[in-house]
Amino acid sequence: MPSTQPMIEARGVQKWYPNGFHALRGVDLSVSKGEVVVIMGPSGSGKSTFIRTFNALEEFQEGSISVDGIALSNDLRNIDAIRCDTGMVFQQFNLFPHLTVLENLSLAPVVVRKRRRTEVETQAMALLERVGIAEQASKYPGQLSGGQQQRVAIARSLCMEPRILLFDEPTSALDPEMVGEVLEVMRGLAADGMTMVVVTHEMGFAREVAHRVVLMSEGQIVEEAAPEAFFTNPQHERSRQFLAQIL
Amino acid sequence: MTSIQPGPESGTNQPLRPARPAPESVQPSWAGALRQELFASRTDGLVSVLLILVILAAALGLLRWALAQAQWAVIQANTSLFAIGRYPIQQQWRLWLLVVLVAGLSGVSWGLLRAFPRADRSGEIWPFNDRLAVVLLGFLAAWLPAALALGLPLQLRWWVITALLVTMRCLAGSWGRSLPSRLVRLVPLSWPLLYLFGMVLIAGGLGIPRVPPSEWGGLLLTLLMASFAILLSFPIGVVVALGRRSSLPLLRWSSVLYIEFIRGAPLITLLFLGQNILGYMLPGGWAPDRVWRAAWVLTLFCGAYLAEAVRAGLTAVPPGQLEAARSLGLSMPLALQRVVLPQALRIALPAAVGQFISLLQDTTLLSLIGLLDLLGTARTVMANPEFLGKNAEVYLTLAVLFWCCCAALGLGSRALERRLDPTHSPV
Ligand SMILES: Nc1ncnc2c1ncn2[C@@H]1O[C@H](COP(=O)(O)OP(=O)(O)OP(=O)(O)O)[C@@H](O)[C@H]1O
Ligand SMILES: [Mg+2]
Repeated sequence: MPSTQPMIEARGVQKWYPNGFHALRGVDLSVSKGEVVVIMGPSGSGKSTFIRTFNALEEFQEGSISVDGIALSNDLRNIDAIRCDTGMVFQQFNLFPHLTVLENLSLAPVVVRKRRRTEVETQAMALLERVGIAEQASKYPGQLSGGQQQRVAIARSLCMEPRILLFDEPTSALDPEMVGEVLEVMRGLAADGMTMVVVTHEMGFAREVAHRVVLMSEGQIVEEAAPEAFFTNPQHERSRQFLAQIL
Repeated sequence: MTSIQPGPESGTNQPLRPARPAPESVQPSWAGALRQELFASRTDGLVSVLLILVILAAALGLLRWALAQAQWAVIQANTSLFAIGRYPIQQQWRLWLLVVLVAGLSGVSWGLLRAFPRADRSGEIWPFNDRLAVVLLGFLAAWLPAALALGLPLQLRWWVITALLVTMRCLAGSWGRSLPSRLVRLVPLSWPLLYLFGMVLIAGGLGIPRVPPSEWGGLLLTLLMASFAILLSFPIGVVVALGRRSSLPLLRWSSVLYIEFIRGAPLITLLFLGQNILGYMLPGGWAPDRVWRAAWVLTLFCGAYLAEAVRAGLTAVPPGQLEAARSLGLSMPLALQRVVLPQALRIALPAAVGQFISLLQDTTLLSLIGLLDLLGTARTVMANPEFLGKNAEVYLTLAVLFWCCCAALGLGSRALERRLDPTHSPV
């Protein structure tokens, strides 16, 4: 069960894209240690924009975000510290195609954390074992299936020993039969007490694993509830419309 | 029990078919393939026959000329002029030493490349192409020095050098894996060192007597100019390409200005301009004489075109790559160096090599500003009353020499491309 110690605190976050589009319109969210929060919402509602502000891939103009007690500011050292502690898994995997699977995992720990290569590789093999693809360690990403690639991407994030994992639609680019294997890995992480913020439309996963479901629409959070309550008895008209569409 | 053949009857409850080895691909016979390719229809046949006749006639004519009419004495008498220009005789041991070092290191690198195939591939130590290359090298070593009517001592030197290359290739191929990995990692590093050392050997300094650039010539000068420009234009191209995408306006504008200025003028104009104004532009002593001024112009010229090739490569790397690297905590320089540039440069490689090949050919323009590169040497030789009217022999030799250099560049780049090929990048 999540503790009350906050890992992510977002207060009144406002974001405009350079073309003037108001993408986030005062978003508040707090995520406790060990909590799994699922963010849902229609396309274009600002889900990706929101979770990408947590590790400064997107900047915001007003409001405040602090991650693991460090306030996000323009100070580059803060940003790098936060990024080291915050893993991110992308919809398109974004594995480095010119490196082998093992090198994908060990790159950041070796060049950023300055750890010994042999030691990192032992840890990387253990992680690959955990996500079930140890035998692919010396292959290149282009030689793996989508599900395998996404599991490598998760292992790559874990290799930095993050305290928070962000997932942006980790299964939407996968063929249906590969979705299960990726969700299985995520379930395992949640059971181990990892703090996770997951943008996904996988209802089963949300019901079973999430502690809280958040619905975004037009750059705002319109409903925040426990999964059972959210799926069986949504309070907001927007939520009902959205659920009607994805069910 | 595992059966290779699928069962003859197939019902709904049959077990799934087990895997079986791929069928032997049927190679059509030589004659069959030839007929298919050349004589598929009547017009095809007619065109083929005509073309074969034309090619045969041209080849026969060239061969008859080369063997019966051509007087190769003009080449034989001037081998050393074509190779190194007026490099002083007493100092030529330095060039021989350089050739020996290059041959040795080439052999070692070649062997190690085969001993360490890519992590995901199993490679043969002696693939067919390598065996072919060794046979070709042996033939060249035996035939070329004799055909050029070199004295026996010189012939002997070329045999020894070729033998050294092949021996190193064999040794590195067989024992490379048992070398300590520290030593193996030194090999790529030793190439730039050898280049610097070679420069010292050629130009002098560090205690050995100077040979001024005005005495370099022929193939030596051509290769020196081309390699200097290629090596230095590479970092320039990368920096300018990054500068062009930078968010600092001054850096971006100066990059654009540089690229557009260079690309807007023909090389020959820049070469003449360089002879006149480069002395004022570069810090004192950097472009002291005509050869070095020309070298800098070639470098800056090649750098601008290379920057465009690299920029195309940078654009082709998906933005997600940089995002992934940054979100793992890599700083901007690290992300560029470890993630973005390796991919961008691989994409830019074919365009860059095309640029290098045309640069190698553009070095012939140096003869127009009075330098004795290969073409400049050829023109002095042809102007010599003793060899009047031997233009065909000289130009053919030049063409073959350039063709060999460009072919080597092309082969090398294709091998590099294959080695760096990430099979297929995820979308
Ligand atoms: N670089 C940009 N410039 C301008 N507008 C942008 C930019 N990126 C995104 N947007 C807009 O911001 C809004 C939110 O985008 P975002 O990608 O966060 O949506 P999302 O909820 O993740 O949608 P999806 O489910 O399709 O991924 C969209 O309307 C989008 O058009
Ligand atoms: Mg999105």
